[in-house]
Amino acid sequence: MNGRVSLARKNLFQDRRRALLAVMGVGVALLLVLVLDGIFAGAMRQVTAYMKESPADVFVSQQGVRTMHMSTSALPTETVEAARKVKGVAWAEGLRYTTGIIGVGEERRLTYVLGYDTATGRGGPRRIAVGRAPGPGQILVDKIAADELGVGIGDTVTVLGRPFRVSGLSRNGTNIINTTVFIGGDDFARLRGPTVAYVIVGAGVGISPEQLARRLGSALPRTTVQTRAEFATQEGRIIQDMAADVMNIMSAIGFLIALAVVALTLFGSTLGKLREYGVVKALGAGPGRLAATVAVQAVWSIALGLAVAVVLALVVGIVISSLATNILVVLEPKSIMRTGAAAVVIGGAAAIIPLRRVMRVDPATAFRRL
Amino acid sequence: MGRRVPLARRNLLDDPRRLIVSAAGVGLAIMLILLLDGLWAGVEANVTSYEDNAGADLYVAQPGTHNFYSAISVIPAAALDTVRADPGVDWAAQVRGLFSIVELHKRKAPVYLVGFVPGEHGGPWEIRQGRSPRADDEVAIGAVMAKRHGLDLGDTFEIMGRRFTVAGIGTDAFMFSFVFMTHNATDQLLRAPGTTSFILVGTSDPNGVRARLGATGLAVLDSDELARNDLALITRSFSVPMRIMVGVALAVGSLVIALAAYTAIVERRREYGIVRAIGAGGRDLVSIALRQTMMLSAAGLVAGGLFFLGARFLITTLRPQFVVLATTGSVTRAIVAALLMGLAAAILPARRLTRLEPATAYRGG
Repeated sequence: MNGRVSLARKNLFQDRRRALLAVMGVGVALLLVLVLDGIFAGAMRQVTAYMKESPADVFVSQQGVRTMHMSTSALPTETVEAARKVKGVAWAEGLRYTTGIIGVGEERRLTYVLGYDTATGRGGPRRIAVGRAPGPGQILVDKIAADELGVGIGDTVTVLGRPFRVSGLSRNGTNIINTTVFIGGDDFARLRGPTVAYVIVGAGVGISPEQLARRLGSALPRTTVQTRAEFATQEGRIIQDMAADVMNIMSAIGFLIALAVVALTLFGSTLGKLREYGVVKALGAGPGRLAATVAVQAVWSIALGLAVAVVLALVVGIVISSLATNILVVLEPKSIMRTGAAAVVIGGAAAIIPLRRVMRVDPATAFRRL
Repeated sequence: MGRRVPLARRNLLDDPRRLIVSAAGVGLAIMLILLLDGLWAGVEANVTSYEDNAGADLYVAQPGTHNFYSAISVIPAAALDTVRADPGVDWAAQVRGLFSIVELHKRKAPVYLVGFVPGEHGGPWEIRQGRSPRADDEVAIGAVMAKRHGLDLGDTFEIMGRRFTVAGIGTDAFMFSFVFMTHNATDQLLRAPGTTSFILVGTSDPNGVRARLGATGLAVLDSDELARNDLALITRSFSVPMRIMVGVALAVGSLVIALAAYTAIVERRREYGIVRAIGAGGRDLVSIALRQTMMLSAAGLVAGGLFFLGARFLITTLRPQFVVLATTGSVTRAIVAALLMGLAAAILPARRLTRLEPATAYRGG
């Protein structure tokens, strides 16, 4: 264009193989961060799917119990009746819940077991992919788990030590740790006693979930009352709080590796070309121009590396989900932005040594053989 | 032999800063592999700590139970009498186990509640401070949980809506803490009196007792079986992400070595042109590239080992809930990984060298 030579781009891309290695190196290092973020975001989405899709406006649980995953809640059945009497309640139902194992032969999976009122379906799955709601002695199995276990409608599985016949397949109930099965509330009560784990409540017309939660909280002593949104947030926080440390450690390693790769790239593209920089300086380029040249190379390395990382993350996400159907990898724009912002800081740090060398270069270098 | 010029080594050592950055990059990848392996080994070593320490030969549970953790077994407490009536049973004790999430310092902490009968088996096997719980509002918690959340003897915190006082500080499990309390306390928490999760059995005739109790319709598992099943459950959930992370570490390590070796070769292509001009064959040049990448991977391996020791110290000091172990297997895998990286990384630099024209020696560098 206009007769100017982009020294930064020329230095970086003069040797395409080296440029490819550098961009791939940065990309794979950032991939580590993006994939971890993606697995985390996927787990959050999976774990909160049941409550987010629920028609209930408010969830009532045992006092001090705010979650479902890794939690146990027990409420007397009278709580359901007491909830129905609260002004503004359109409907209230008991939801029975425990963790268990679903087994077929020697194959076993950890599962949530939910016992719900099949007549209303409110505590059940939002979508039944195939088949119908469970009758007595029957069970709904999540499709992913059914595929893994090799079972379909009419087959028998063992849950809570009892055989159940599969009446249908549901969706969105499998996460990185466990799957979800649904049985009738009566079957559940016969196996585990009369207590319910949660009371799910629908609000009447004109009543907000927050208003209803306040009224239920006053009317039901020794319980925890949360709106659906609060319940989902609390559930997500389990994953967040448990995974935060591992995520931070792994992300820090990924960023440090990216730092090393960008530094190596800049070493190669600047320190090996000090003579060219000497020529540019001899031709009158100031320190700002030279610094900008190095900075542009860092930005190019990071930007292309990030692009490669995003593409690879999408591919790796598909590979992971096909190898382990219970794992969902969700690449969120905010994760890409966060990784990109951190990568820019890394690019700045990696440019420090080459910058210092380039700034101190003697114009006379141009006339020496290196 | 003695007159040969160690081109690969000189080339690498020519720019110590680049060598350090390259070794650091490869070292970080090796460290990642060692850390993932070490964390996994820590999980494996700790996931079965209850079964390893409770001292029971057999666990009697609800039919269909295969695990100690996660799958909640519920059986009538009266089954204890049936078990004790067996002539081969030396001792039997009821234990209830369940996961719970407690909120401490606005963070959710997963704990595994173990309800036991004071004075009987199944309670805490190690108390470092204080004593084992006796009253229904007392608990013994893990030392890591106590340290992380600033809990001391006599402090109180809430579990499922009830306040408990810390009477003892003892053992943790993997990434969560055991919270021991009386069996009565768990009955009240779950509103489930007259039930329990497991009956622990001590016997010198496990096979006979297992056969007889199994005939009553209860599930009877030995501690090894429970431990294997618990481990398999955890392994199944996390093995794919772990393998992907190790694969990424291998790829990034190889790319760092390749980049460093390739850059070093490109910048010295005139010297290599001279080597070619004085008669070096393709095999010699490939050998030079391979030696460079293997030296870089060796330097990375050393750096990775040092980084791992530092990172392990930092992680276990700042986040004591993690156990990071270095095993013979993990060190061997790291060495193999470094070798693979060195080999894979040699491909591009070797291709570049073998395509070098001898005339390069006469061009400006």
